[in-house]
Amino acid sequence: MLRVWPIVCQFGVGAILCLIGIWGGLRGKYLNLKTREDRRLLVILIAGFLLMLAVACIFTFLAPNWANGESI
Amino acid sequence: MIAQVIGGKLDYTVMLFYFVAVLGFGLYFGRYTTSTKDFFFGGQRFSWWLISFSCVATVVGSYSFIKYSTVGFKYGICSTQSYLNDWFWMPILVLVWIPIIYYMKIQSIPEYLEARFDKKTRIAATFIILLYIIGYIGINLITLGRTLHTLLGWQVMTGAIVTAVAVALYVYIGGQTAVIMTDLVQGIILLIAGLGLFAAAVYHFGGFGNFWALLPQEHKFAFSDFNAPPNFSFIGIYVQDGLANTGALMLMHQGFIMRFLSLKSVKDSRRMVVCWILVLAPLAAIATSCGGWIARAIVNNGEMSIEASDSFVKAANFLCSPGVFGFVLAALTAALMSTADTLINAVSAIFVNDIWRPYIKPGSSDKHYLKVARITSLCAAGLGLALVPVFMRDTIYGAHSMFTAAVTPPVLTAIFLGMIWKRYTPAAAFVTIVGGAVLIGMSFIWSDLLVGPFDFGMGPDSYKFMRALFGLLAAGTLGVSVTLFTKPEPEAKLKGLVAGTQIDAMRKFKGGRPNLRPGAKVRLQTKIDQSLADKNIVIVPQSALDKMAAEPGDLLYASHVRWWYGGLRSVHVKAGPPADSDQHELMLISPQDAATAHFTQGQQVVVEKIM
Repeated sequence: MLRVWPIVCQFGVGAILCLIGIWGGLRGKYLNLKTREDRRLLVILIAGFLLMLAVACIFTFLAPNWANGESI
Repeated sequence: MIAQVIGGKLDYTVMLFYFVAVLGFGLYFGRYTTSTKDFFFGGQRFSWWLISFSCVATVVGSYSFIKYSTVGFKYGICSTQSYLNDWFWMPILVLVWIPIIYYMKIQSIPEYLEARFDKKTRIAATFIILLYIIGYIGINLITLGRTLHTLLGWQVMTGAIVTAVAVALYVYIGGQTAVIMTDLVQGIILLIAGLGLFAAAVYHFGGFGNFWALLPQEHKFAFSDFNAPPNFSFIGIYVQDGLANTGALMLMHQGFIMRFLSLKSVKDSRRMVVCWILVLAPLAAIATSCGGWIARAIVNNGEMSIEASDSFVKAANFLCSPGVFGFVLAALTAALMSTADTLINAVSAIFVNDIWRPYIKPGSSDKHYLKVARITSLCAAGLGLALVPVFMRDTIYGAHSMFTAAVTPPVLTAIFLGMIWKRYTPAAAFVTIVGGAVLIGMSFIWSDLLVGPFDFGMGPDSYKFMRALFGLLAAGTLGVSVTLFTKPEPEAKLKGLVAGTQIDAMRKFKGGRPNLRPGAKVRLQTKIDQSLADKNIVIVPQSALDKMAAEPGDLLYASHVRWWYGGLRSVHVKAGPPADSDQHELMLISPQDAATAHFTQGQQVVVEKIM
């Protein structure tokens, strides 16, 4: 669990920060999801979050077990 | 720290050549600086990619290569975690903070705090932010001093002085434009050098698999253990770097604020942040840390013995041929200069905008303020140098972490709450900043009592990191508590300054209703028209207005057709009434705007609507 807590903490608090930012954009309609450009920005925000999460998971659960060249 | 001088004459020649070239490059851009707007914000005309590279060059300080390679050697790839926790701030940055400061024409953080709260909050924040930035300059200078001591055998102070003089000189002459342009070059060079070193190591070991196999298994995790060791635990790094330091970089670091304000438009900030945080920052993480990983692999391969603190320099010296090693050393120098220049320019901006202009000599000419800004740049470098002996007592990582954890939380908390919470009051903001700073100061005296409960069982060695958590919670609690017992500001005063009112800020920026209809870019030819003198408008054909989906009165941006100028030759103008049909494909522009943009008669330009 010592290895899992960092992921839970970083991406949990990170998700809250992201939601605050998106809420701040949606409020007052500065982030207008009716426009294609703003929808694309939202997709990029979520994709970036998931990409970071994937990298963290790979280098926590998979990569440390790659013992040597043959297994990569 | 190794005692002997390493590297050869060719290496030092390459390094010296680079040093002089960057200095000359920076000085050249002095010609683009004729006003305080140019000196602080580069004329607000640069493209997203230029600012992305300059941001990454600024983030990667001279301490980065040494600091992250040292922890990379000791703990492995988790040395990159500091670079991979920035994304979470991105929505707040691009959807709330940048629109507010850009559209409200905020020139400094203290100025925002006065607009959002009151004058006393501005004054309190000014002193804390100046302390933060000048301390940062000191940390950067000491790192380069130590590095030059290792490489050339110079005294630490001598190396710091030489570098400070060089950086202060080109900031003095070129201002923000010189900073951005030199940072572009330095950002590219430090990425090439760091990633090139990593590629050379992989080649040396016969492939990535062999390199990976040489690292101990506990060095292959993305994060360090949650609460161990005390001086490099995940939770310590996360609260100090991921929350306090990254939050401070994004929201209260004057250097970054000035960089964001140098963009040609707020929309460019979206691309800039994605490129910076999602692409360049991870590459920078590898570039700065890999020296430590490589050194560990070299040691485990039995090729030589290396100390953690020398891992970057020794690994680079081991792998690179003469001359190439000099290039890597140049990257190290680049990292220092590109951070120090930003900080020096930032101190100058705060001093002029928040102390000199409002209190000492209000109502003077822009030329006077430009002169003061330039002199302040020199003084800022001098103050940074004065702090070098203070930081010499600790390790670089320790000094940097302790400093940011102690100084940033109160102002960061006040900005954060002020930006997202309408109810947050001026009295609460003042108490957050002053009370938070006092509580953090007390935490140095009664550490066990105040920071101890937040140390996750790690003990006193973790306090310099965990103080950030204590600071954020203490300042936040004070702010929320006082808010609940004080009267909020009227809504009308908050327009454009808090989340949910960004459209009001846009309206204020333009001086009318923003035109958000999507349009295309058009290519036109300039014709300098004396009748437009001092009007800041351009006359373009109706067909061009239609293509841009623009109307008379809309804000336009005209730039040189060569994209790789990155906006260096460009200008913001307003669309005037459409031209007669015989002015087809021409853009009539005033002599002043043409001079600002460095356009000549008959110049091909690209014009786009901003709003």
